[in-house]
Parts: sequence; C-alpha cells; structure tokens
Amino acid sequence: MMEGSVGDRSGINESVIIKACFLAVKSHKSAVGYIKETGTDETVIFAFSGSWSVQDFYTSKPFGETKIDVSLFPSIKSIGNNELAMIYHGFFCRFQSVLQNPSFQNEKYTRSGNRPPCKCVTFGSPLVGDRIFTHALNRENWARFFLHFVGRHDIVPRITLAPFSSIRNEFHHILDFLNPNSRNFQKSSSLTSQDASAFFNKVLKNASSVASHDACNLMGSTNSLLEIISSFVELSPYRPSGTYIFCTGNGKMVHISNPNSVLQILFYSCQPDDESQVINTAKRSLCMDYINELNDSLLGMQDVVYLDDKMEIPLSSNGYDAASINTALTDLGLQKLENERMIDSNIPIIEKTQDLIAKYKQTCEDRRIGYYDAFKMQKDSEDFRENVRRLELAGKWDEIVEMLKRYELPDGFESRKDWIELGTKFRKLVEPLDIANYYRHSKDEDTGTYLRDGGRPKRYKFTQRWREHALRLKEGSSSETTFWAKVEQIRRKPFEETKEQIVALEKEVHEWVQKNELEKDVFLEKSTFAEWWKTLPERHRSESCLKGFNQKYLYNIQARLLDSSKNYQ
Amino acid sequence: MEAEASSFETSEMLARFLGSTPLLPESWNLCGRSNVMAPQSFLTDEVGGVTYVAFSGVQSVDGLDPFCGNLVPLAGVFPVDAGMFPALEDTVMVDAGLLHLFWTIFHTPVFQNQMFEIKKKQKPVVFTGHSIGGAIAALSSLWLLSYLQSISSPPTVICFTFGSPMIGNEPLSRAIQRQRWGGNFCHLVSKFDILPRLLFAPLAPITTHLHNLLKSWHLTMNSPFFFQDPGNQLGDHEKSELFHFVLGYVEATARSPGTNLSFVPFGNFMFCSSDGAVCVDDATAIVRMLYLTFASGSPSSCIDDHLEYESYVGKISLQFLNRTEEEICESNTYEAGVTLASQSISSGHMAKDCLKMARRIGRTPNLNSANLAIGLSKITPFRAQIEWYKESCDQSDDQLGYYDSFKLRGASKRDFKVFMNRIKLGEFWNSVIDMLEKNQLPHDFHKRAKWVNASQFYKLLVEPLDIAEYYRSGEHRKKGHYMKQGRPRRYKIFDKWWREREAFRENDNDNNSVSISGSGSNNRRSKFASLTQDSCFWAKLEEAREWVEKVSSESDPRHVVALWASIEKFEQYARGLVDRKEVSIDVLAKNSSYTIWVEELRVLKLHSQHFSTQIPGILDRKVVP
Repeated sequence: MMEGSVGDRSGINESVIIKACFLAVKSHKSAVGYIKETGTDETVIFAFSGSWSVQDFYTSKPFGETKIDVSLFPSIKSIGNNELAMIYHGFFCRFQSVLQNPSFQNEKYTRSGNRPPCKCVTFGSPLVGDRIFTHALNRENWARFFLHFVGRHDIVPRITLAPFSSIRNEFHHILDFLNPNSRNFQKSSSLTSQDASAFFNKVLKNASSVASHDACNLMGSTNSLLEIISSFVELSPYRPSGTYIFCTGNGKMVHISNPNSVLQILFYSCQPDDESQVINTAKRSLCMDYINELNDSLLGMQDVVYLDDKMEIPLSSNGYDAASINTALTDLGLQKLENERMIDSNIPIIEKTQDLIAKYKQTCEDRRIGYYDAFKMQKDSEDFRENVRRLELAGKWDEIVEMLKRYELPDGFESRKDWIELGTKFRKLVEPLDIANYYRHSKDEDTGTYLRDGGRPKRYKFTQRWREHALRLKEGSSSETTFWAKVEQIRRKPFEETKEQIVALEKEVHEWVQKNELEKDVFLEKSTFAEWWKTLPERHRSESCLKGFNQKYLYNIQARLLDSSKNYQ
Repeated sequence: MEAEASSFETSEMLARFLGSTPLLPESWNLCGRSNVMAPQSFLTDEVGGVTYVAFSGVQSVDGLDPFCGNLVPLAGVFPVDAGMFPALEDTVMVDAGLLHLFWTIFHTPVFQNQMFEIKKKQKPVVFTGHSIGGAIAALSSLWLLSYLQSISSPPTVICFTFGSPMIGNEPLSRAIQRQRWGGNFCHLVSKFDILPRLLFAPLAPITTHLHNLLKSWHLTMNSPFFFQDPGNQLGDHEKSELFHFVLGYVEATARSPGTNLSFVPFGNFMFCSSDGAVCVDDATAIVRMLYLTFASGSPSSCIDDHLEYESYVGKISLQFLNRTEEEICESNTYEAGVTLASQSISSGHMAKDCLKMARRIGRTPNLNSANLAIGLSKITPFRAQIEWYKESCDQSDDQLGYYDSFKLRGASKRDFKVFMNRIKLGEFWNSVIDMLEKNQLPHDFHKRAKWVNASQFYKLLVEPLDIAEYYRSGEHRKKGHYMKQGRPRRYKIFDKWWREREAFRENDNDNNSVSISGSGSNNRRSKFASLTQDSCFWAKLEEAREWVEKVSSESDPRHVVALWASIEKFEQYARGLVDRKEVSIDVLAKNSSYTIWVEELRVLKLHSQHFSTQIPGILDRKVVP
C-alpha cells in the first residue's frame, strides 16, 4: 500500500487546494466567468464559476449530450474505433464563452522545462463526459491531472445521471437554493422538503440504474434479461473520469482512481440508511461546504484511505457499503490486464509469421516478380502457404480489434509503442496481400471496391490510426499500404475518367518513395502497376513525375540482386 | 484454470437494476387496473414510448375446468419456423386450459387491432398480467416473438408476469432457451404464493378447493382496493390440505430434478420478499428456489401472498433508498454476491446453496469467446485447404467440378484429408453453437461480424461437401432428401444469423472472403462467384434429378403435371443463379451433375414433345437452356 498525503500523491500542495477551493466559491460572484490569482509557491489558479440558470441546463435530448469538438480536443476520442467522446452540451457552451472572452484569450500558458503540466481540481462538480471521455483520459495518461473532491452526500456530482426531463419541475428551486448569488441561498424556507426529497429520489434512482447496470455488465452477467431491460430504458451516458476524493463528512477521505469504482461509490455513498432517512439525507445532499470540509480533512494529520486496483478494501469501516462491488471492479481491472496478457503472448507468433511472410516477399523479388503479383496469381503451393499465414495473422489481429471495439483491453493499449510498431509492420507487409486476394477473387464486383466504406478490414484501419495518432500525423496521411487498391481501382476505368486521380496517385507514390514508405518492388517490370502505367498515353507519361522511376529503381534492384548473387557464390 | 467459475453472482444486482426502472411499477399498475376494469379481457396503455398490454387475472374459471393441468401440443398454433424447433409437433406442449383462454382473447377483434397497431408502430412492448392473466401474457409474448422472427428490425418484447401459473413442458423451456428468448420473460413470484407452484401437482384431487380458491381470489382482485370478502374464503382445514398437497409435489420435483416433470419453468424468475429480490434464469435453481421459499410458508400465507404483489413491487422499486446490510463484506466477491442475494429473499443457507448451484461453471463468457477466436484461427488452415482443393477440382482435367469430384471421389490421400477437414470444421462449429445455447458466450456473440461472416463463409464452402457426402452414402434413400431430413442444424442457425445480421458497415471480406449477394447486387458480376451463393444449390439439384428420372416412368398424368411444375421451377431458379453469375464455376463444369441434368432435361423434352399436346401449358414456354 502506498501511503502519503493527498498533496504528495497529486502533486498539488494542500494549501493550494484549499486556496483553489476558496477561489472556486468566490468565482461565482465574478462577472466574466472566472477569476485568476496566484497561490503559494507561485502557482497560478484559474477558478471558473458555474451557471445557475435552468436555461443553461435545458436540453431537448434527455441527457443533453453532444459530440465533443475535436478541433478543440483532438485526443478526446478512441483511436481505432474513432468514436468521439460525448460531453454535456450546457457545460461546453459555458466553456466556449469563457474561451472567447478577450481577457482569457490574453492569458499565456507556456509549459517550460520540467515544470508539471496544468492540473484540474474540482469541488462537487457534475459528471461532464461519457465513457469514451474516460477512456481517452486514461489512454493519454492524463487522468492523474484531474482531482475531483466530492462530498459523500453532495447531490450535484450525481445530477447528470438523471435525465433532465425527470427533474425539470424541481430543478429551478434547487438551483436557486444552491446559488450563492441568490437571496434564497441555503435558506431552508425557500425550498420545501417535498421538492428536495423528490429531487433527491429521482437523481438517486437514476444513479442506481446506471450503477447496477454497469455492475452487471462488469461482472459478466450473461443473462439476456439485462440486455432486454436496457433496451426499454435510457441510461445516462456520463461516467466519472480522473481521480476522486470522497469527503465523508467526519474528516476522513477516500481516494479512488478506478472510474468504475467511483461510479458505484457515487451511488452507494449517497444512499440513506433507510426510507425514513430520506428527508434528512435529501437536505444534507444540498448543503455541502467544501471549504470547511477540506480545512478539516486536508490540514494537519490526514486520514485517507487509498483504494487502488490491487488491494483489499476496508470500506465498510468508513461507512461505505460498496465493498463487494468494489472488489468486483478490481477484478474487472484485472480482467482487462488478463486480456492484455493473453494478447501480448501472441507477439512472438505474430513476429515469426510476419518474418516468414517477409521472407516470401524477398523470394518473390528475387524471382523478379513483386509479391503482390505473385500472390495474386497463386500459382505455386508457396503462395497458398502464404495465404494460410495471412489468414492466421488476420485471426490474431482481428481478435485485438474485436477486444478494442468492446473496450476490453486496458485504456492505454492503443498508445503502446511496441504494438504500434508491430501493427505498422503488419500493415505494410500484409495489407498488399489482402488487396491481392480481394482483386483475385473479384470481390469488387460482389461488394464494391476495397477502398469503399467498410471494404478495408478494420485491422488495417486501426493500426494506421494508431500510428497517425502516436506521431501526430494528419488523418489518412499514412495510407501508403492501400497503394495497390488505388491502382486496381483506377486501372479498371478508362484513362480520361481518371486522369486527375492518376496524377494525384503519382504524386503520392513519388512522395512515399522519397520517404521510403513504399517498396520499390512496385516498379518491377511485370508488376500490375508497371504494366498498367505503360498503357497510359505517351504524352501523360512523359510529363509524369514518375518519369524515369521505373528504369532507376529497376536498375537498383538489379544491382542488388547481382550483389546478393555474388555473395551467394 | 479449466473449470474456472464466473467470479460474480449477479442475480441480486440484476433485480436491483430492474427495480430501478419504471417497468415493474407501470406493468403492475396496469395489471391492477385490468383486474378491476377488464375481467376476461385486457387493457393497453402507452407510457414513455412503451406499449403496455395487461391481461386481467380475472378469467372464466368454468372455461378452465375440462382442460386445466393437461398438456396439448403447441404446434400448428404458432407460425414458428419449424426448423428452429426440431420436432416441435410432438414435443412442445402447453396447458390446454390456459391455451384456450389465450385463444379466446386472441380471436377478438379488439386484440387483433391492438396487435396490428403494435406491429405497425415498431415500438417496444410489455406484455403483463397478474395470476392467470400472466399465463396469457406469456403465451401472447411467445406468439409475438415467433411472429417477429421474420422481421428484420423487430421491436423489443418483454413479458412480466405476477404470480402466474407455469404454462408448458420441458421442450418448451428448451426451445425458449435455444431461441435465446429467456431474457424476454420475467416471472415475479412471491415467496409463498401457491399459484406458480400449483402445476407441479396433479389437479384432479383438488378441483373443488381450487374452484373455490380461484373464485375468492377473483372476487378480491376484481374489487377496487383488494377488498377481501370473508364469506367466500376457504376454511382453514381446506387451506391446509391444499398447501400440503402442493408442497409435497414441489418437494418431490425439487429433490429429483428432471424426472417426471410435466410442467417446467422457463425464462427468468424474480423471487420477491419484503427484503428484496433476485433474478434467476437457471431452470434447476428456479425449481429448488420455488420449493425452498414455499416450504417456509404456511397454509394461509400461500393463499394471501398471491394478492401481495402490489406491496412487493412497491418495495422493489424503493430498494435504492435502503442501504444493504454491512455483513456482505466478505473477501470473496462471489460469496458476497450469494450472501446478498440470499438475504434479499431472506431464506437462509438453503437458498444460498441453491444460488451457488446456479453459478455457471466455466470460464467467463468473454474468455470463452476469446478462446473460441483462437480455435477459429486454428481451424482456418483446414478451411484454406478445402478452398485449395476446390480450386484444384475446378481446374482438373476430368471437369467434374468441386461437388461431383468430392461425391465421386476415390480413395486418395487428398480426398481423405478434405473429408477429415470437413468433419473437424463441423465439430468446431457445433461446439460454438453448443456454448452459445448454454449461455457460455457473450449475449451478442451471434451478432458479431467476425462470427457471422466466418460462419457464412464456412457454410458456403463446406455445405456442398456435406450434401455430396449425404447423397454419396445413400442417406437420402434411408431418411429422405437432404433439404427435409438431412440438413445439419448448424446451417439453419447460420442462415438465421446471416438473415438477422445487422447491416454491418464492414463485411470483413478479408478474413472470410464472404461474397454477399444482394448488397451491391446492382453491379453485375463480370465473372462467376468464387462460391455458389446458395449453399443448398446441390441439394436442390439432387431432388430435381429425381424428378427428371421419375417423370418419364410416371403414369398418373396428375403426378406428371406436378413433376413438370417442380422441374420447371428449379430450372428457372438455377438459370437465374447462373445468369446472375451467383454460382461458382464448378456448377457449369463440363461433367458436373448440373450440366448433365440440363442435358438430360433437354433430351427428355425432345422426347416428350409429342406429349405436349396432352399436357397443355407445361412445355409451351421456351425451355432450351
């Protein structure tokens, strides 16, 4: 068990946290939506105010979600699946208005040298993003920069788990009661206990739905009743992300970083002891004083329980009842690791098979025929053997893609360097064979071209996106492995129709060859590409940027072959 | 590692999830109203985009008399895909009395109109009912589910019953499991309620008691606020007789599961008590729970509890407000789940054992699925070898084509290898189906593109070999034709997967080389498909061959007309496939069965030219290929 204070763990000094909390409360009175101050140790703190108008929350959709703007948040998506995160529209609008504020635009943030990047500390914040949001934060290893303090009974962090339509009636009163700028702020006379309990019940019931639904799924329930009930009800898309610190109200704190556990605890910790306690608990759920609470629990001797993925949880002594579920979720975390371990165990076989295909490629080249064309002809039993290898590899890679599609691998998997490299190698080596197989069987006539939507196997799309994301390349810039598909597609049409495409392709080829991303075997005399290119009108060829390429590269290959035969002798 | 069990018990969690949705309160609400307002009929309502149909628990008791407790076949009643219920005609049976009640309501114009609306709207539907109304709701769901099978994106159907009697036998329960409809049924059963257990016992000895009991229940259910009429109740002695009589049979059933069961539960059972609820879907566990909970009851509670669903539903939907006991913090999560679940129905250690028994032994579904994927990649070379074999057959000098080469094969090593590969592939796919039906795989497994495509490709490639083997070994003379008697069940299931596949944006052509006819069929093929798109083509041809043989020897002119009609139908179908190039070239090989058949037909027609005056209309059209 790793001990330490909250400050040591998060890299934010306790006094800064308390100052931030103080500023966060103060910011509600600010006119521009945020305030800026320098804390101790020269930390600059920006504190953003929330909105207190029902209008800002109002949405036509049940949960007010909207797709994240990738131009502002390029990483907040899943890579292979390319699913964008969903965020609460109202909060995003609020963010945009701050962002467009001239004074905010004048703020300069430069990250220099070894200084840690910016951090985010929230106090009783509602959930903002969905599971993709959480996934992306974990993948980028950013979850550690987000620290959320949540009062055990505070209802606000749970609000977005309920559909807006269900709480519409009471919401206005609740906001008024919570708004520090309102004259009804925390005035018990302004809010009936019926409204408070009704609001509390609805939010908690929805939180219960989301928590128990996720728990069933995480525990691997195969009962199809679960799936069928889910199709009758709409569940909130929002999930916790980052690190949570639950404040229990008696000076103790619970520190959790597994988002699945956080979700369970968000529900269980807010439950009243029994039905008779509803009114009391509902009242308590609306009166959370973070400054006092943090003063009590952060300063001096801290009493923190750290719940990490690999430990037993003494939750019940802290008054939480989610222990069993929590262990379950821990096991789930282990399940993902177990999946990863299984996938990792395939690496040697994948490497070996890929080496064999590389050898095949080499032998083909020695016979002066590109392996694309050799494979497409399938003349020899050797070609057949490679086809089996191609299928074996496809099976292994498809399994990875399937797991990623269902988010069954650890969030960081798609940014693992070894897999990105292996995937790139796989794509470069094997995708041409897939294309050859595709056109050998004229599948373009069954289902359309290889490059149409859904034609290209996901295992290549995924591995291409991994590389593009890791190297911060433009989307689609690493598509050289589809070269043969482009050739096949263009050569089936008359020259006049495809002139522009041809010029574009030639330009790309030129570039890829310069960057060594395309192998030179494409220029071999008998290759599909070379043979087709020779049929293009003389005039076009003489002006093409590939003019002379054939001779030049052919010459090189011949020279190398000569070399190698010399060595052989 | 092999027998690693699922580490969690989710029966309580699932009940908790269901309890947090509005489904149960809304269902019960309408049930209660239909008991009061619509005796012998039903009510419908729409709440939040969901249509609720509630059948009244107050039904004609006299109508039940001659039938109740007797099983009758369901076949012929429901428009089911007979292939999906093997030998359905004889084995799937339901209670005659309950079926009769269902039919009576089903044939009313009001009901027909409602069903028409539901089918049109494509919105989710809840069928529900209290008491006998629950049985009618279950039969209605079964009917609608069977009907919806033929629709591409059917609305979701769920059935909630409250204290319903059982309706059918073991084959029904098995058929529902095979169809993966178990999740569409959730039967709420209170701890002591006698009615859900009643049909474990023979009814003849207790007919009079039962009559009085139903009458007194109906009176109470039919009156607003469940006012109990003291005059109509059974006496204490009668109650006690009834309770012990039924208890005896429930106990016997629970002690020796699987023997002499006429009525068997199906779907999910949600056991409710004042402390909570659990959802169980394992039939053996359900029977034991039915016994264990009932045994802790009493003669009066077994009758009163039938009318307590209102309060149970209320409790379940307020469960989220009640903190669960803290004792659950055992280190083992599975143990904790079991403890929690058995607390929820407050019936101690026995129920705990029972829940443990329901625990699925075996790896977790996702691990199973991952292991199957490895299995699939291991058998891929077998498949590739068959592909290779097909190609070499198609190019061979004898020009027999793939199908006939295999059918007429000699004793070569290569042929034997293909024969073995065919068997290994068949075994693999059978094991996949087996695991799926035993709920050992993720619930959406049969919708995953990888498996749908792989199974389709397997079917197109290997089924012709299975057909060849069937006719080669003369099975058709013993059992009848392949299409009717010989087609392995796996292919019918793969047909269903393929039919129901969601419009995959990606057809994963790569691994599985599936050629999808239909999608993109606007583009005419420029060459023949690599695999014949109807995997049963050869089986149909074998039948057509028989017709051609028969037609020349047949003397009865009516039979001759019928035979010619069949021949012509097949001819059109086959020519369509060939014209659209949806057959693989082996069909058109010079010496293939098809080519020979076409030639035989041509000769036959020449010969029968002079008959054509006798058989008008048959040979008028151009039939020369």
